[in-house]
Amino acid sequence: MDQDTLTYDSLSNRPLPKWLTDQRDGLTTIQPVKKEMKADNSLSVSFTVTGAIIFLVITVLTIVILRKKKNHSL
Amino acid sequence: MKPIYFKILILASIVSLACTTKVSEWVLLNTLPNQYTLIYFYKNSLNEAIVKQNELLGKDITPANIHFKSIERKDIEQPYYGLYYGNRFFSRYNEYKDLRGLTTSPLREKIAAEIMSGKLCVLLYLTTDSKTKDEKGLQVIQEALKSSPFKNIISVAELSRNDKEESHFISLLLNVEDDLKRINEPMLFGVFGRFKALEPLLGKGITEENIKLMIDFLTADCSCLIKDDLPGMDILFTEKWDNPATALVNKILDDNPSLLHH
Repeated sequence: MDQDTLTYDSLSNRPLPKWLTDQRDGLTTIQPVKKEMKADNSLSVSFTVTGAIIFLVITVLTIVILRKKKNHSL
Repeated sequence: MKPIYFKILILASIVSLACTTKVSEWVLLNTLPNQYTLIYFYKNSLNEAIVKQNELLGKDITPANIHFKSIERKDIEQPYYGLYYGNRFFSRYNEYKDLRGLTTSPLREKIAAEIMSGKLCVLLYLTTDSKTKDEKGLQVIQEALKSSPFKNIISVAELSRNDKEESHFISLLLNVEDDLKRINEPMLFGVFGRFKALEPLLGKGITEENIKLMIDFLTADCSCLIKDDLPGMDILFTEKWDNPATALVNKILDDNPSLLHH
């Protein structure tokens, strides 16, 4: 029924039924999710986050130590 | 185990079973056949005899997948009956007697009985009465079935396209696609479910490979892709399709897991 609108010039060129071509091409089964290649940024993200944490810790510690030193000198 | 976990487990089992039901079995158990419409077109008024005749006709065909109604039309010369499938016009019958055997026939009953007995499908071979063409196709069908593990659950029925007794059935089959009437080649219809006929293999398309693909289609797990877009056309028939026998395909697949495919 779905092929009613299809046209062909000779019987040998008549399209095969859709159910047949779908079955042959494996289109009637549940298709696995297509995996696409994506750029892997995990390493640079990891470096950036680690660097930021180190920088933050050093900054905080520096401030704390400097404040303590200042209090002692007073 | 908490009752809620138990319920989830049962539900998951049912869902997983539903996804592994084979196409042929799923269609037989779950899909209602599409309806035909028979319309009596008349001009001016209906006389009492015609009203009674149409009442009888309506009662007679009601068990089948068909509606009957009458419509008045000003643009017709003679009254007639028109058979429609959805919006598609199939056939015109000028007289009441032409409708005899519209909804049932001996071969349709035989095919329905095969399907209800648990068979996978019936391969209906519509022949042309040209011996050379017909025998070639039949040989291919027999060879294909000989090598199929499902050969014992597939029936083959032969029908000449000039068979007078089955003229309505033949007309319905040749309407599965709109060009089939013009093609004088043998045709192989896969009939399954509640008398659903797949678009046929015809002429040189009747090959062992294509027949194997047809069997693969019917023995595959019924995926949502198939459920949403079922191929084929429902044939007009009176069967109620209640309580079919267990599908025989399941035993073959259970005994031979290597035949399982999705």
